[in-house]
Amino acid sequence: MELQKSLSLKRKKDNDIKFVIIALYVFSLILFGFLMDTPQEIFKGIYNILIEKDILITDYIGIGGMGAAFVNSGVLTLMFIYILYKLKINFNGATIASLFLIAGFALFGKNLINVWPIVIGVYLYSKVQKEKFSKYIYIALYGTALAPFVTQMMFSTTASFLIRLLLSLLVGISIGFVLPPLSSYLVRVHQGFNLYNIGFTAGMIGTLFVSVFKSYGFAPDPRLVWTTGNNGVLSVYLYIIFLSMIAVGFYMNNRSFKNVKDITTYSGRLVSDFVMLEGFNPTLINMGINGILATSYVLLVNGDLNGPTIGGIFTVVGFGAFGKHPKNILPIFLGVFLGSLTKMWAINDPAILLAALFGTALAPIAGEFGWRYGVVAAFVHSSVVLNVGVLHGGLNLYNNGFAAGIVAAILVPIIEAFREDEV
Amino acid sequence: MKHIKKRVCKIIDELITYFFVIGATNIDINLQEKEDHYKILLRGNYTTKDKSKIEKLVKYLKCDKQEEMEEYYWELAGESDVDTELTLVGMMTDNAEINISEDMIEVVLYRYK
Repeated sequence: MELQKSLSLKRKKDNDIKFVIIALYVFSLILFGFLMDTPQEIFKGIYNILIEKDILITDYIGIGGMGAAFVNSGVLTLMFIYILYKLKINFNGATIASLFLIAGFALFGKNLINVWPIVIGVYLYSKVQKEKFSKYIYIALYGTALAPFVTQMMFSTTASFLIRLLLSLLVGISIGFVLPPLSSYLVRVHQGFNLYNIGFTAGMIGTLFVSVFKSYGFAPDPRLVWTTGNNGVLSVYLYIIFLSMIAVGFYMNNRSFKNVKDITTYSGRLVSDFVMLEGFNPTLINMGINGILATSYVLLVNGDLNGPTIGGIFTVVGFGAFGKHPKNILPIFLGVFLGSLTKMWAINDPAILLAALFGTALAPIAGEFGWRYGVVAAFVHSSVVLNVGVLHGGLNLYNNGFAAGIVAAILVPIIEAFREDEV
Repeated sequence: MKHIKKRVCKIIDELITYFFVIGATNIDINLQEKEDHYKILLRGNYTTKDKSKIEKLVKYLKCDKQEEMEEYYWELAGESDVDTELTLVGMMTDNAEINISEDMIEVVLYRYK
């Protein structure tokens, strides 16, 4: 039996439909932004976002206002959708995950300017290797985690504008240039049990860069810009978006939930591409369910909906196409919750809210080894994540991905050593 | 260095793991490097009664070749013995032929240079 693998005309059409649907969801961010603020407030807010440092945790709603934060997120993500479309990328789970990651982090750290030096660095690497840029596009998209390095160099020294500009470009492009070989190499360390592989890679690179910076007396100052009091309007927007995902997925899936349950049979370990394995329609339903669960978690623990937490929710939704489903993310929430009962912090502290949402990077541990191990992983993760940020000075936006990589690299070999079943 | 041959090794490694999963005890491997492609042939018996494991092989290897996925994740192929990465093998190969008989499976993969 010969397997048909070429991209047929029908598949090309399916690809276009997926692009349009995701683009419409991204466009809703812009629409929501313009419903929240006037165009004048939005443009002023975006200007404020562009001239600020982006070190963790910088909530763009606090810097530029609700409208500016959402418009920044929507426009930036649409730009990346356009690039992916022009590069003729096969639209799959990894594409959706990377786009939702951009949309989420563009609410607290990625903006219309600071991501491009990283992308240019990856582009230059592809040219040096004499390869197509499209081969490295996911590394470029995920790699924008280190965008705060660009703004940090630009806005935290008293050097002349030209020097600061050159320094920020140099650092951003250098980071992008070394990302491709490192990201594929370091994925072996956690064996794909950390879904945010670039977060782990970016943590390593960030640690190296910040160590050098500190040797020259340049230490990033931590900050916390965290907005509160917007749970009402933001939860309405989020629930509408996620319920519509379920409705659209249900309608396109011949008005059924067929294959949705099958998604939960996968461990979620990299590479679990639900769009390829079970189809786009059930995947869209899974994404919507994940979104409702993540949003409800934040509200149930009396947390704040704002740029960073919506970033976390969008990540859970995006990876609903690439490894996360209710069965493997709920043990993570439970593990962080149990941690709050015994540890010295509260369940709705900013860093702990983010630990629960982004800690779902470890969902494959629950999926592969069982929910109890997922709980243990999350319990450990919620402590590790509070301790590793200092290594990269808060300049790696995927701090949870860095911590999750460390947790997975240590836990997985131990769990496997005591597992009785053998291949 | 692009690790071109190492990637072929990884594909074979992953398939051997799969054959072990389905209970193979006798596996033949043939790898040929041609002018413009690699031809990878694995033939082995199987003892599993779980038909879904065989069906998954077909489903996973059907994945389209995707260089952008390969470039990021190829190091994972053949790395784990608790889970398989057959979708990755599908993404790393251009064509696949599978022949399944009562107690034998033959997989032929083509990877163009």
